[in-house]
Amino acid sequence: MYEHPGNTTEQEKNLDNSIRIVKAESFEMKRCLDKGKTMDALKHALQMLNEMRTAELSPKFYYRLYMDSMHELQCLEVSLVQDFSSEPAKLVNLYECVQYASSIIPRLYLLVTIGGVFIKCGLGSRKEILKDLVEMCRGVQHPLRGLFLRNYLMQCTRSVLPDFPETEEMLDVHNSNLPKGATKLKPRDGTVEDTIEFVLINFAEMNKLWVRMQHQGPSKEREKREKDRLELRILVGTNLVRLAQLEALTEDMYVKDVLPSILEQIVSCRDPISQEYLMECVIQVFADDFHLATLNEFLAACAQLQTEVNIKILLIALVDRLALYTTSSIEGGAPTKMKLFEIFSEQATSLIKSRPEMPVDDIVALHVSLVSLAVKCYPDRLDYANLTFQGLRQVIEEKAITEIEAFGKVGRELTKLLNIPVDEYKNVLRLSELPEFIKVMRFFDYRGQCNISAYMIQNMLEEETILRTQENVDAAFELISPLLKDQENQPENSHDTEEFIDEQNLVARLLHLIRADNVDAQFLLLNGVRKVLGEGGRYRLRFTLPPIVFELYRLVLQFAEMKEEDEKWDAKIRKMFVCAMGTIGALVSSAELAELPLKLYLNGAITADRVPFEDNHTVVYEFVSKAMSIMEDDVSDSRDRVRCLQLTVGTLLKTTHLPHENWEPLAIQTVLAAGKMFKKPDQVRSLVTAAALYWHGQTLNTDGQKMRNGKKVVEILKRSAKIAKECLEPIVQQQLFIMLISAYTYYYEDKCPEINVDHIEELISLTQDNSVQLDVSAEADSLEKQLGEAIRRLQLAKLDVAAAQQTSPPEPDLPQPPNENEGL
Amino acid sequence: MAMLFGFGQSAEVQIRLKNEDDRKMVKARGEDGNMHDHFLYYDGESVTGTVHVNLKKANQRFEHQGIRIEFIGQIEVYYDRGNQQDFILITRELARPGELTQNAQFPFEFNNVEKPYESYTGTNVKLRYFLRVTVIRRLTDITKELDLVVHALSSYPDNDNSIKMEVGIEDCLHIEFEYNKNKYHLHDVIVGKIYFLLVRIKIKYMEIAILKTEVVGSGPNTFKESETVAKFEIMDGAPVRGESIPIRLFLAGYELAPSMRDVGKKFSVKYFLNLVLVDEEDRRYFKQQEVTLWRKADREPNRIGDGETPEDLNVISGTQKFQTPAVSVVEHPKPESPRNDLKSGSSSPEENSDTS
Repeated sequence: MYEHPGNTTEQEKNLDNSIRIVKAESFEMKRCLDKGKTMDALKHALQMLNEMRTAELSPKFYYRLYMDSMHELQCLEVSLVQDFSSEPAKLVNLYECVQYASSIIPRLYLLVTIGGVFIKCGLGSRKEILKDLVEMCRGVQHPLRGLFLRNYLMQCTRSVLPDFPETEEMLDVHNSNLPKGATKLKPRDGTVEDTIEFVLINFAEMNKLWVRMQHQGPSKEREKREKDRLELRILVGTNLVRLAQLEALTEDMYVKDVLPSILEQIVSCRDPISQEYLMECVIQVFADDFHLATLNEFLAACAQLQTEVNIKILLIALVDRLALYTTSSIEGGAPTKMKLFEIFSEQATSLIKSRPEMPVDDIVALHVSLVSLAVKCYPDRLDYANLTFQGLRQVIEEKAITEIEAFGKVGRELTKLLNIPVDEYKNVLRLSELPEFIKVMRFFDYRGQCNISAYMIQNMLEEETILRTQENVDAAFELISPLLKDQENQPENSHDTEEFIDEQNLVARLLHLIRADNVDAQFLLLNGVRKVLGEGGRYRLRFTLPPIVFELYRLVLQFAEMKEEDEKWDAKIRKMFVCAMGTIGALVSSAELAELPLKLYLNGAITADRVPFEDNHTVVYEFVSKAMSIMEDDVSDSRDRVRCLQLTVGTLLKTTHLPHENWEPLAIQTVLAAGKMFKKPDQVRSLVTAAALYWHGQTLNTDGQKMRNGKKVVEILKRSAKIAKECLEPIVQQQLFIMLISAYTYYYEDKCPEINVDHIEELISLTQDNSVQLDVSAEADSLEKQLGEAIRRLQLAKLDVAAAQQTSPPEPDLPQPPNENEGL
Repeated sequence: MAMLFGFGQSAEVQIRLKNEDDRKMVKARGEDGNMHDHFLYYDGESVTGTVHVNLKKANQRFEHQGIRIEFIGQIEVYYDRGNQQDFILITRELARPGELTQNAQFPFEFNNVEKPYESYTGTNVKLRYFLRVTVIRRLTDITKELDLVVHALSSYPDNDNSIKMEVGIEDCLHIEFEYNKNKYHLHDVIVGKIYFLLVRIKIKYMEIAILKTEVVGSGPNTFKESETVAKFEIMDGAPVRGESIPIRLFLAGYELAPSMRDVGKKFSVKYFLNLVLVDEEDRRYFKQQEVTLWRKADREPNRIGDGETPEDLNVISGTQKFQTPAVSVVEHPKPESPRNDLKSGSSSPEENSDTS
């Protein structure tokens, strides 16, 4: 562009030189102004402006020079206006004088300045001066210098452009309506129409210069030129901004003159950079009403733009702007009156057709805007949104695209698109009224479909979208079906991913949103859902079935209080448990899980125990026994078994409604299982735990009291002590001994008559002997302390027992049944 | 003899014109190159006044062989000084031989004297008007000259023909240019435009120069001098096809004289508008077009009621006549106009003077 670009340092140097001259000359200029020597001042101004002729500066540097010179010219203008506004006649020949300057750049800068002064002093015809200035500027055809000169023209005249009235006729009306004596407006001062013409000419010329920059200079500097051009675009855009600021600009004028002229210029310049920027400018600067009134024209122009122009951005900007406007306008009448959506939809479709090379992501992005418009401005017109999805589906089908990558360019746009109705409706169930939505969603690859499904679930959770009916459930499940069962396009290892786990957890949470209006219906829903989820395969079942079980238990508890209201109460409750049992069974058989179903069984047992339906003990028995058989058959890891046994013991301790004949086999089985632990220390610990059953357990036959079977307790403890002695590792053995001492002491404190203190002390002395032989270690130290504690506690217990057993010590660490939250 | 040694009586001669205080003075370049003030006369205007003969010594007689005054219009060619041509010579006898004893005044009058040409001081030629008083004496005449400046007024109808022409270099540059007239008065404004029909060269700038060519003599003794009176840039940068560049050049600010054709069969002064385009390799493309300059009578004072607002006064003289390019392009497509080739290159003799 600039003939000798030079590097930055060189440019700096050139700029500094120029600025120094500008400073010196402007200093002289101001001195002359102070002395009233106008002509001399103008001569210095010309000298100063000579610097603007430089071809050495890049746009960035030229701009700095321009800014400095402008500042000085403003000083000149202000000074002249001040000095001569009272006696403008003295200025009359200035307009001619400045035109003798032989170089065109300084001459025109000065002419524009003087033109501004004339207008401000009321000299000459404003209309004629403006017209003259804008025409004379044609003499500068150098893009960079021309753009800045014309920008200066706009700056200088900005405040004096006629902005009233619209037409000559209106001027007459205006003048005739004035009170007598008021100053009438003169026709030659011009009207807003003159201003429009003025700005439009300037705009067109600037755009031409701007576009021309692209085609000058070697082609290898294209990128640099484009960068330069982008830096200068604001100069061109200023014209449009000025037009938009005209107060007297009416919609009618905009429709008939302004926009057609602007569009003509934009389309005919055939320059992508210009077209894209200016179209966006038009969208941004003019009023919404104007856009609504010229939608067809604007969109038609869009279709004529160069193929390199990113139409998508333009349409989206326009749609978004109008969508915002129509939603925020109080009347809301505009969208219905104007067939806004239809127009956009039609234009977008024809645009896509006419540009076969348009990237798919752009196509999708366009639809994002359309859907956004449809959904936001026409919340009741689901058909609009559906139509848009349909349109997109057809395009994608035509292009035979499938398996769109979730995080690819297209995928990201598609995600945006699908999220809009989810976000806007705040009710995922409404999406079922957009049959095309799902079809579009199916174009995603597996991950994409899962993502959008998960997004919908999240929305439902946030909005607490309750699934009240079978239809609701079906609709929701249809939408999230990629998460519910294996898909054809599912990658093999997808079950191992974090996403899979997160998504299945979401599905699990979703299930808690199922809330029918009554218990029967709720049961039916859960039962139905269970069947659907049952097809999800082993990896999903572990996430999706437990919530069903918990929902069933919750339903049981809810129903428990309605005994009086339902004849078939007992039967229904039983049925619920049967259902739960079946569900848990599926976890064992299909999902091949052990500990989880075990916990669920135990939970069920406690629930059943709490609800006094007929023969509930059979359910309790069944559930506990099932849990125990899982432990026997399926829990192989010894640590897991210990834990499971603890849970079982805890559960049994919580149940109160088992008849003794049912309780006893369970207890016996438990103790047996404890004794059958693989490792001896585990046997010891488990037995100590199980012993609690015979002391704290309750059955139907204990009348609400605890069992207090001390004999059995001591028997079990002894057995475990025996096993402990067989342990060979001294440290482990020591641990077990201390635990046993504590257990004995506990029962002794709790007044178990069968406990023999001598027996305990014997155990203590054995332990103490042992501890001497232990190697020195931190562990040994800690055990030593624990032993000390145990002994001390026994002493206290003895004192207590002796003191007539007034107080009872706190309960030891009894195993607790799994609580509801622990299930997962 | 007494006079030879300064003892004799002597006299000083002065020419006083009538109404000197009211008569307009104009500056004119003298032979020394400096500007001098002179009284201004027009063709047909009477030249009247008084010749004052003041004696240097009181109470001494002053003898003379007669006193006369001449009104002379003269063309002087510098290289041929001896051969001056008086195209006008009118003599008036102011006094018969005799003697003066005191200061004397002699009124004179050249009634409605014809002054066909404009005063002119050029490179090789000078056209001057002057009054010459001669006091004839026995040994040495006393003479006194007074130069007058004559402005030759002309008038042309306003509906003068414009100059329109399409010129170009095959497949390289085609332009159409238009000057609104071919005759301009000295305070006129040249308004015009250049319309680019084809641009295949990288133009750096375009300017208009006013060239003055003075041709003296005839045949082998022709002396031709050109000088650039004004240089005026009208375009910066390279236009593209379809661009139309306005021209507006005020003439009043330049030192110009009317065109002269074969004045006294001795010389001519011609003016040319030279349109010059310079490309990025500093090659010059130009087209000269002769225009006639003429002197218009000073503007008559504004009549009362003529134009109610004073700011209308010629503020932007050119504007009204300037037409928007779009209109004018449509208005005069000129297929019939002869295509003139632009001259190219700086070897042209006309261009040499341009750069000087």
